[in-house]
Amino acid sequence: MPISQDGLWYKDAVIYQLHVRSFYDSSGDGNGDFRGLAQKLDYLQDLGINTIWLMPFFPSPLRDDGYDIADYRTVNPIYGTLEDFKNFLDAAHKRNLRVIMEMVLNHTSDQHPWFQESRSSRSNPRRDWYVWSDTDTRYKGTRIIFLDTELSNWAWDPVSKQYYWHRFFSHQPDLNWDNPQLREEMWDVMKFWLNMGVDAFRLDAVPYLVEREGTNCENLPETHEVIKDVRARMDREFPGRMLLAEANQWPADLRAYFANGDEFHMAFHFPLMPRMFMGVKLEDRKPITEILKQTPEIPDSCQWCLFLRNHDELTLEMVTDMERDYMYDEYAKEKGMRLNLGIRRRLAPLLDNDRRRIELMNGMLMSMPGTPIIYYGDEIGMGDNINLGDRNGVRTPMQWDGGWNGGFSTADPEMLYSPLMLNPVYGYQAINVTSHKRFDHSLLAWMKRLIKIRKATPVFGRGSIQFLFPANHRVLAYVRKLGSETILVVNNLSSSAQAVELDLKPFKGNILVEMFGKNVFPRIGDLPYLLTMGPYQFYWFKLRRL
Amino acid sequence: MPEETILSDEFVRELINVGEVDILVGVPTHNDARTVGQVVQAVRAGLLKYFPRARSVIINADGGSRDGTRELVCAASINDTTTSDLSALRTLHSISTQYEGNPANGTALRTILAAADLLQAKACAVVSPESASLEPEWIERLLGPVIRESADLVLPVYVRHKFDGLLIRNLVYPVTRAVFGCSVREPYPSDYAFSSALGSHFLNQEIWSQEQGRHGTELWLTLAAIIGSYKISQSFLGAKSRLESSPSDLVKAMRETAGLLFCSMDCYPAAWREVREPLPVPCNGCQPTVSLEPMRVNRKRLYQMFTFGVAQLEPVFLSILSSPTHDELKRVTTLPEEDFMFPDQLWARTVYEFAVAYHRAVIGRDHIVQALVPIFRGRALTFVTQNREAGEEAIEKGIEAVCDTFEREKPYLLQLWDGGK
Repeated sequence: MPISQDGLWYKDAVIYQLHVRSFYDSSGDGNGDFRGLAQKLDYLQDLGINTIWLMPFFPSPLRDDGYDIADYRTVNPIYGTLEDFKNFLDAAHKRNLRVIMEMVLNHTSDQHPWFQESRSSRSNPRRDWYVWSDTDTRYKGTRIIFLDTELSNWAWDPVSKQYYWHRFFSHQPDLNWDNPQLREEMWDVMKFWLNMGVDAFRLDAVPYLVEREGTNCENLPETHEVIKDVRARMDREFPGRMLLAEANQWPADLRAYFANGDEFHMAFHFPLMPRMFMGVKLEDRKPITEILKQTPEIPDSCQWCLFLRNHDELTLEMVTDMERDYMYDEYAKEKGMRLNLGIRRRLAPLLDNDRRRIELMNGMLMSMPGTPIIYYGDEIGMGDNINLGDRNGVRTPMQWDGGWNGGFSTADPEMLYSPLMLNPVYGYQAINVTSHKRFDHSLLAWMKRLIKIRKATPVFGRGSIQFLFPANHRVLAYVRKLGSETILVVNNLSSSAQAVELDLKPFKGNILVEMFGKNVFPRIGDLPYLLTMGPYQFYWFKLRRL
Repeated sequence: MPEETILSDEFVRELINVGEVDILVGVPTHNDARTVGQVVQAVRAGLLKYFPRARSVIINADGGSRDGTRELVCAASINDTTTSDLSALRTLHSISTQYEGNPANGTALRTILAAADLLQAKACAVVSPESASLEPEWIERLLGPVIRESADLVLPVYVRHKFDGLLIRNLVYPVTRAVFGCSVREPYPSDYAFSSALGSHFLNQEIWSQEQGRHGTELWLTLAAIIGSYKISQSFLGAKSRLESSPSDLVKAMRETAGLLFCSMDCYPAAWREVREPLPVPCNGCQPTVSLEPMRVNRKRLYQMFTFGVAQLEPVFLSILSSPTHDELKRVTTLPEEDFMFPDQLWARTVYEFAVAYHRAVIGRDHIVQALVPIFRGRALTFVTQNREAGEEAIEKGIEAVCDTFEREKPYLLQLWDGGK
């Protein structure tokens, strides 16, 4: 059963994204599993997050890290059983932790029985559940997403001697959402998990559900109709559950996925993330404020989802060519760090393991309008392994301690699903949860504190934002407001100390209380409010009229 | 007495907001609203196109404009509160300050240098607000050698009309080349760039309360770079268009050029005495520099002003010039206009003898410099007459010949300097 009746719970959420496979192996077979994850729920509760986002855990040939689903109604045996999942879900709910799971609506694995049936003959009843064509020239205006591996969105099927449509890898055929039986079947799949108590779905690759000739086959009205239908059914039968959109689009195009508050509850703000990295490297707030200026208002019940890093590459699709070149040069100097149109690195290595920058970026993540997501391991500053293929370098085992396999598994190291990080800087001997717990000022301890302060007020999750534009462009300042509560956030994006004068006249008479140390700063008067800030420092001030 | 400050408090506040920069472009102005907007837009476009990743600022040092010049400069800012037609990675500040005192390019340059020093600009360019033909490429050509090749001073090379810049071609260029040993075509630039090292060195010179710190300062900067053995480079910029304006004041121009050259020779004899051969200075992208459109020059008036001026200043010349030079000058004044010819050698010796007279201060130094004006008119008349029908090659050859003469006569200068007359 859902743990609270507040329909807007996702606005106050702090989400932790993890792979079951990467988190903790209870069976000693080298793969993380649900029983292991259940054992680590106390850790997550202690960290302070209140929502877990699970990567796909379905049966799958794992050619795309589980996004190639072969059966929607059970758990991949390497992660355990359906019963294990249910136990994990109950244990999470008991700790007031909600669970978001992946739902890939756009495509399946080519190993899925539906596709096997579909390709078996042109007259098969499930033939029309996928998109087939005699030619590979339909939908010509559609871009190829995985440029590094795919030459076309069509693949030839030698069995039924037609082409099938795929927006991602050729082993991931797209489902045909024009087929009414397919729609009903997919809703049944969703109901299966909602009945079990899952709190939310992250719907993967939503812009690509429907295809139409003469379009770019993205964000089509028919796709929105599909989403609206799913949402209406869910609100009717499972009130309080949430839909999160994965749609790597410009904010203006994303806006449509909120519609009138009757499509998605939340959507990832993809273009903001690279611009946060850009802003810190350029020491200039312009990229951040510009993209937020272009971000449209969304319905009150909706929310942006913000993240610094995730399981994919740091995507650079939503930046200009000039910005992409800059990001590559600054954050992916080695060719091996680049993948598709992005950078396959974790947070700490991206920021040169600079604690101050890691704190600043997390401070911005937690204080900007939206719901923050922490990618597993980033709370202890885990590194990446660019020598592993695809995006596997950011999906290495969680580092729990400095012992056998970093505390992840009792299996022989060669049995692990992925090599452990071993280098002297990011290796599990140096970076692990246990060592972080030894010190009050470790990154983990600091993250716990940050999350606690974020959660202590609804302002960050639900409040309005108003940017201040101090003449010093290295300083990003904004006011978050909800009802009578006001918070001033000031971030120094620069590697050097800065002085900044803030125009706080509208808040004249207020006293500033710094939220981490609870220290009182001078009252706001008629003059511009002068702050001096250390390199990459940030302040969160509560404004008190006392 | 509190020590004098260069930058106003308000300007310092604005500079704090700008912070450390890689590139600073200075625009000295005084009532330049007609052209400054266009110039600053081109600078902005140049910075965004050629140095998109650099932390840059445009700084206007204004002498008290009343025509909205400063507002036009500030309008070129690109930040997160304004919408720009050009995509920029960074905030591009464009700020303006009014310096203390009367309008003077030297004071403006000092303000720009002080700002560059405070912001630790790695490369700094200064462009004239009157450079209406300034293209975004100029910014690359000026700053590129500083940033990429570690040049300390980048001087411009323009396409000029064959009768434009007569003082530069006949006096400043030959003297800089022959005496100081540095072959730069525009030693007195209005568009140029320099490194932080040269900028700081120049800012710390004790000239700012003197005339060379107010007028002709750009020439002094070139000379300081030569004397200090800084790395100098030239960049071809293209045509330099000029506004239609009142005829320039030749006395003022002579003070800013000959006056400064003589002063520099006087102050730093060790820097030029030992120079034997002029060093060639590399020029990026250099092309022919002479344009040949028809231009009307009132030669008759030049002739009259020359003969009248020389006659008037006869007593002054007696104390400046040697007898042979004086006699030769008198001979030239007797030539009829149609046969008039002021020879290269006489011109070189005259200039050198004026330099020596300045060094010895035989009369008031400003009088010495002013006395060169009528003689220069004679030299200019010869240049115009000789090159009336000349093409580009012939003109270049003529300028080269003048420089050669100045170089050949340098031992004569040294001999005079050391005591002979």
